[in-house]
Amino acid sequence: MNEKSALACRACGAPLDIRNLVSESGWREAPRIRDMTEIHFNASTCQVEGEIVPAAEINLGSGDAVFFEHHVMLWKEEQVAMSVMQLSGGFKRAFAGMPFIITVAQGPGRIAFSRDATGELVVLPLHPGMELDVREHAFLLSSHQIGYSFVRVKGLCNILFGGQGMYMDRFVTTGAPGLLILHGYGNVFERRLAAGESIMVEPGAFLYKDASVTMDVEFQRLGSGFFGGTNMSLAKMTGPGRVGIQSMYVHHHTE
Amino acid sequence: MFCIGCGTQLSPDQNFCRTCGHPVRHEPAQTAGSAPSAPQPSMPPPGMPPAGMAPPVRSQPVPVITAAPGVCPWCGAAVDVSQGSCPKCGATLGLPTMKAASGWTQLPARKDMAKLQIGNSSCQIEGTYVPVADMKLAAGDSVYFTHHVLLWKDTQVTVSTMSLRGGWTRMFAGLPLIMTQAAGPGHIAFSKDAPGELIPFTVQAGQSVDVREHMLLAATSNVAYDWFDTNVWFETRNDKDTEVHYPIGRFMDRFNSNSPGLLLLHAAGNIFTRTLAHGQSILVKPTALVFKDPSVDMHLHFEQPGALYSMWGSWGNRYLWLRLTGPGRVGIQSVFERIEGESRNMTRWSNATATQW
Repeated sequence: MNEKSALACRACGAPLDIRNLVSESGWREAPRIRDMTEIHFNASTCQVEGEIVPAAEINLGSGDAVFFEHHVMLWKEEQVAMSVMQLSGGFKRAFAGMPFIITVAQGPGRIAFSRDATGELVVLPLHPGMELDVREHAFLLSSHQIGYSFVRVKGLCNILFGGQGMYMDRFVTTGAPGLLILHGYGNVFERRLAAGESIMVEPGAFLYKDASVTMDVEFQRLGSGFFGGTNMSLAKMTGPGRVGIQSMYVHHHTE
Repeated sequence: MFCIGCGTQLSPDQNFCRTCGHPVRHEPAQTAGSAPSAPQPSMPPPGMPPAGMAPPVRSQPVPVITAAPGVCPWCGAAVDVSQGSCPKCGATLGLPTMKAASGWTQLPARKDMAKLQIGNSSCQIEGTYVPVADMKLAAGDSVYFTHHVLLWKDTQVTVSTMSLRGGWTRMFAGLPLIMTQAAGPGHIAFSKDAPGELIPFTVQAGQSVDVREHMLLAATSNVAYDWFDTNVWFETRNDKDTEVHYPIGRFMDRFNSNSPGLLLLHAAGNIFTRTLAHGQSILVKPTALVFKDPSVDMHLHFEQPGALYSMWGSWGNRYLWLRLTGPGRVGIQSVFERIEGESRNMTRWSNATATQW
């Protein structure tokens, strides 16, 4: 709930004085967070700075913490204490090329994060009971109230041709609400699928989904009649729930 | 006389400012008597009134309304300015166009979620960094597109292949061997994995346009897709290694149509266009070329120092240009790749002109 005079949402930074940009096909553009917008969570605040490659600067209250992967920390104040979050299945993850060390920064103090590519920061306040699956390496930071685990992408087809590796990050909120910030390449769009509604998405463009959304890779056979054709793989996402995509995606050389 | 870049006093014979390197604009004789101008900001302040009231420093970008009212400044379609944006190409109407004094015009601004109408189908352009073209295909309408640009589609949209003439030669040149075609009804969206601009290019009946390879995102199926040999190449030799380089690619795409159609091109960075008069030439970085009218001639142009040039066996200060000669329209992008082999020892090349310093 925001005050009437507020220009941006306290929880996610979305500007409140402009209307949502929704395409006719139902995709909502991730709200363009105004430069220097402040977002509140627990006893901490987060300011999103810059527009082309935005940085998230966190002012951690004492007792608050955020966790993040390698190579996203931009700067920090000296007194911010760092530690390592131990995860189960570390060996499996290392084998799959995932970071198996997640770093935790403990307040009070300021710390800032950014990622090395043009894109958008997607601010997702998570409420108790929410479960979100995120493409590996796409998460920038998460507040300590959120539980972090990972799920293996189901099915060999999905792993080999899904274009997004073997694991997806899963964020679960149990007791208290928390803040999750993702980084998407290019522009980010979100769409809510009704139960049973499906959409075909380029696997490299998948960014996040509610755990209730299922994902299957489907092949589109393209015969050229000469070399026996080629295959195009697309991920079929089936609702109910939200699906987030990014408009710039990494090429995957499977075909 | 003062430099407009840094304000340093200049002597009349200088072509460049010695302090900051800014080119000196020699005022025509009738204005030479006017008072020396103070250093000007390099960009017009926001909200500056359009043409006519602009300050007389003409080497700065000045917003001018280039198209007549009722005509879209980008695609030339007949429009009603009160509509806000052009229904054919999505350009925002009623805005001054940014045209540099040199003659280049910037791709006009487009509102996020701008909608283009193509017959019974429509296309919405979403996003600003890496824009997405979201097409709503009516039953019976179809589009074709290259690999790696399909972002998402409705389950009922069918995709199939479109065979191209001369498949073999194209594959050797690293071009897509097949184009994929999607048929309506339903939604299908395209994007490319690079920050840049999406150029909606309306092809009028009987019009043709040449587009550099790999720039096409999607096109409506009534636009015929053809290609031709660019005949722009050079050969380098290092000992016994001979290599042929194609700075704008071996082939160029040519699109033509008997009925109005839409091309969606994706180019990196910002896009600028200009129309060259008959016989007028301009030198551009070969890899910056995006599109041109078929009437525009192109060939290589070398610019290099004389006498001493090969003393060290180094060609690092040789410039390789693409010379474009009018009449016709050309489009360039501000992000371009390095040309491979540019500074190596060249043995043969396609038709070229040269300038020695």
